[in-house]
Amino acid sequence: MDGPEVESEYYNFEGLNIPKDHPARDMQDTFFIQDKNDPDHGRMVLRTHTSPVQVRTMEKYGAPLRVIVPGRTFRYEATDASHDTTFYQVEGLLIDKHISLAHLKGIMKEFLSRLFGKEVTVRFRPGYFPFVEPGLELDFSCLLCEGKGCRVCKHSGWIEFMGAGMVHENVLKAGGIDSKIYQGWAFGFGLTRLVMMRYGIDDIRLLSNGDLRFVKQF
Amino acid sequence: MQVSLNWLKDFVELKKIDPKNLGLLLTSKTAEVDGVIEESSQFENMVVGLVETLIPHPNADKLRIAKTSVGKETLQIVCGGENLKEGMYVAVAKIGAKVKWHGEGELITMERAKIRGEESFGMICAGEEIGIDDPHAGPKDILDLSSLKPKIGMPLADLFEKNDVIIEFDNKALTNRPDLWGHYGIAREVAALTNSKFKPLDPKVKIPTSGESIKVEVKNSELCPRYCGLIIKNIKVEESPDWLKKRLRSTGHGAHNNIVDVTNYVMTELGQPMHAFDKNYIKGGIVVRTAQKNEKIKTLDEKERELSVEMLVIADHEKPVAIAGIIGGEHSGINENTTEIILESANFHPGNVRKTSVKLGIRTDSVQRFEKSLDPNLAELAIKRAAELILQLCPEAKIAGPITDVKNFKETPLKIDLNIKKAQSKIGIEISKKEIKSILESLEFKLKEKTTDIFEVEIPSFRSSKDVTIEDDLVEEIARIYGYENIPIILPELPTRLPIENTERFKKHRARELFSYALGFDEVYNYSFYGLKDLKNCNIPEAGHIKLLNYLSEDQTHLRTSLVPNLLKNFQLNAKYFDSVKLYEIGRTYKEIGEFMPLEEKKIGGGILLKGKTDEPFYQIKGALELFFKKFNIAVKIAKGVDNLPFAHPIKAVSFIGQDGSTLAQAFIVHPEILKNHDLEKYSIAMFEINFSKSLKLEKHEKSFKHLPKFPSIDIDISVIVDKNIEVEKIQKAILEADNSLITSAELFDIYEGQNIEKDKKAIAYKVTLQSIERTLTDEDMTQVQQKIFKNLEKLGGVIRGK
Repeated sequence: MDGPEVESEYYNFEGLNIPKDHPARDMQDTFFIQDKNDPDHGRMVLRTHTSPVQVRTMEKYGAPLRVIVPGRTFRYEATDASHDTTFYQVEGLLIDKHISLAHLKGIMKEFLSRLFGKEVTVRFRPGYFPFVEPGLELDFSCLLCEGKGCRVCKHSGWIEFMGAGMVHENVLKAGGIDSKIYQGWAFGFGLTRLVMMRYGIDDIRLLSNGDLRFVKQF
Repeated sequence: MQVSLNWLKDFVELKKIDPKNLGLLLTSKTAEVDGVIEESSQFENMVVGLVETLIPHPNADKLRIAKTSVGKETLQIVCGGENLKEGMYVAVAKIGAKVKWHGEGELITMERAKIRGEESFGMICAGEEIGIDDPHAGPKDILDLSSLKPKIGMPLADLFEKNDVIIEFDNKALTNRPDLWGHYGIAREVAALTNSKFKPLDPKVKIPTSGESIKVEVKNSELCPRYCGLIIKNIKVEESPDWLKKRLRSTGHGAHNNIVDVTNYVMTELGQPMHAFDKNYIKGGIVVRTAQKNEKIKTLDEKERELSVEMLVIADHEKPVAIAGIIGGEHSGINENTTEIILESANFHPGNVRKTSVKLGIRTDSVQRFEKSLDPNLAELAIKRAAELILQLCPEAKIAGPITDVKNFKETPLKIDLNIKKAQSKIGIEISKKEIKSILESLEFKLKEKTTDIFEVEIPSFRSSKDVTIEDDLVEEIARIYGYENIPIILPELPTRLPIENTERFKKHRARELFSYALGFDEVYNYSFYGLKDLKNCNIPEAGHIKLLNYLSEDQTHLRTSLVPNLLKNFQLNAKYFDSVKLYEIGRTYKEIGEFMPLEEKKIGGGILLKGKTDEPFYQIKGALELFFKKFNIAVKIAKGVDNLPFAHPIKAVSFIGQDGSTLAQAFIVHPEILKNHDLEKYSIAMFEINFSKSLKLEKHEKSFKHLPKFPSIDIDISVIVDKNIEVEKIQKAILEADNSLITSAELFDIYEGQNIEKDKKAIAYKVTLQSIERTLTDEDMTQVQQKIFKNLEKLGGVIRGK
């Protein structure tokens, strides 16, 4: 699925259970657009995550649903080697009648093992994202040191990979899906970070300055 | 947030556990712990020393050599401390210790050194060099430990009782847990996680049932669910005792005076922000109200703040004295002459506190807590705890009367039905009913069995103010305590279903293959923005752009309406390293169209750069676009010139027009002026931009079969010299029009200018193919067509070569 990159506050925040004046808005520093205001949709923003496409897709297709959304996202965040205003995320959403956290573990383990071409273990930790409940952070076993601890995994043996969780009933409601019948999970991970990890790229800015000495390596 | 393990132990009977493991346990079940720091680790290799002999340094006036006993051995240490004398007990940093040189900069690891020719095995430290307060020391004094009468060789960590462990939480991970913003709540959580006993706080303080109470009037009950006020008299404001200062410092707070320190202490302990007013400054009682128009207040940070009418203030009968839940007023604060105080322990609306804080740009520990939705019940416990501590620090102090308590919140506990089957289905494992009950009860939830499948769960008030309000919140509690690591790994069984086609994305990959693999372009990704300077450099008007309200740099202020400006910057960069550059980008442009949502279109832009003056890039680009449209089966007509492309050459430019008459793509030589603006005047660049979204709408999906020719074809080569300014298109037309029925194609294969050709002329060569579907062509047919072609070309002033 695809969605607009210039998005309304409603789809980027309210529809995802992040009301105005909610401290969770601090977690996502936001670019706002000048002179754009709508009574129903609020201000206009550059989407801070691919999650707005969750509600848009629910509205359009209803449940059950299996969705994957890669896309460009933006954060109002000072730039350095590991932070940029622009990056890519991948959003996943699975809604059906008996979907559980065990399935999320299953799918992510399979996905990561295939991506890296070797057996990967995943673990869940509690994490807070207003659009999921329960909310989780998902880590995978460090491939470099195989869990023993190294510089890349900050000696923990685990790589922080993504936020995930069971879709919050308010989000299902915003998407017009009956949370008494349907349940499911969503995840979102940073594609840019994954690419950097995969190829050992140490400066995120190289990905968007068009230097062919960099581009020609791939 | 920094949490002291010693402080936690006030409230939880913690069994022996390695602090690092406690950190991991909290990370896996509660919230991410960033670090676990043992205070003693900062004092490694530091011991008490006794200066036995002191002799002058032979090569330096200001240094001396101290033979210092550190217990089993005596070390030679070169030292510059002015107050150093024989028989003094000192702090010795041995080899391997980490100190802050003169209290500044990075930590330095002590090594064996020669100082002006004399060996030195460590350092005799000043207080600031090891983070110990030494207020009476002169600028060149070292820390004198003699008054403490310490044992020689005793580790400094033991001497200074540096035995605490600091657990650092990631604040973002605590966003949804208002109960964890103080040691008390964390201790309760730790008790549940480690199966230890929680020790509830019960302040030992007698609140009188009569006497003087502060009058409190809450005008906006919604914004202030609770306000507790208490008068304490006979206060003596002075420095806090060491134990209190130590706890504040180890959790990242400064120390001010006993009263302010107590309010901070209670906040750090219980998570409830508090405030103390000098009672003399409060006229007639406390009024909690929104600010009046143009009202101002000078806050504790000595800044004058202009308030707006939606901001909640604490006022007396004359003026605002604090911005509710955010910061106190300057004048109403505690000073050394204060003898009577009003303690405030209140609960404010999280959204309002946050909004005011953002608007005024004030972020305090208090804001950080109130915005998380604190439990109003905490206010009462906190005011009693503060009173207890104040009486402990100022034994002569007197509580003047009962606590004034204005309540505007629901006190009946929240009850939620928990469907056990549903919880099991969401977690993905059948956790037994018994285990679910025991997990929730460990977290102080109260359970009542309603039916076989449903528990009625009563939520404790410290969790129900925000975090636990729906059934799924209980599912989370069960899952995290049960252990996420115990959830099995299962692939879901799902029915096969065909995906909804995302044609555009699929075609994007095809376009990428075409440009990268077939045509040899390099793909770049540029930002979605550019700045005013880029607009100017490309001669693009600002109108029609979507502008950012907040931006980080001047070159990221406008959302791009064309891919060209950033691509030109790519050329500028790469011309430094490469003689020829071929690049392209697939990305979106954003255009203001007078509606709420802007028009987002996917474009493919790119170009070719070559050194020197040549039209070669233009021909290559034109050919690339022809191939693109052919491969995507989109019918286009090529028209001369381009509309509204201020960065394009006025003549050397073409548009690709779709069947609906709209422009699908443009190819052009970059205008010389634009090249100059980018310091690229020594290069030739041709560029293109395809409106990919629009083009795909005109894609034809069917191709129809034509019968293979039954009769052979004949090729004739034609070479003609024409005026240089006659366009190829005209010549092509002249050839094709010579015979509509027999000519099947005319292919240009050579253009030549230069030697043997007159200066204003060019030689053009075509291969013309003739074929009939009815018969085999004769020589006569060929000659006839040839003559007609010659005639048409001569009409254009052409001279046929080899005629």
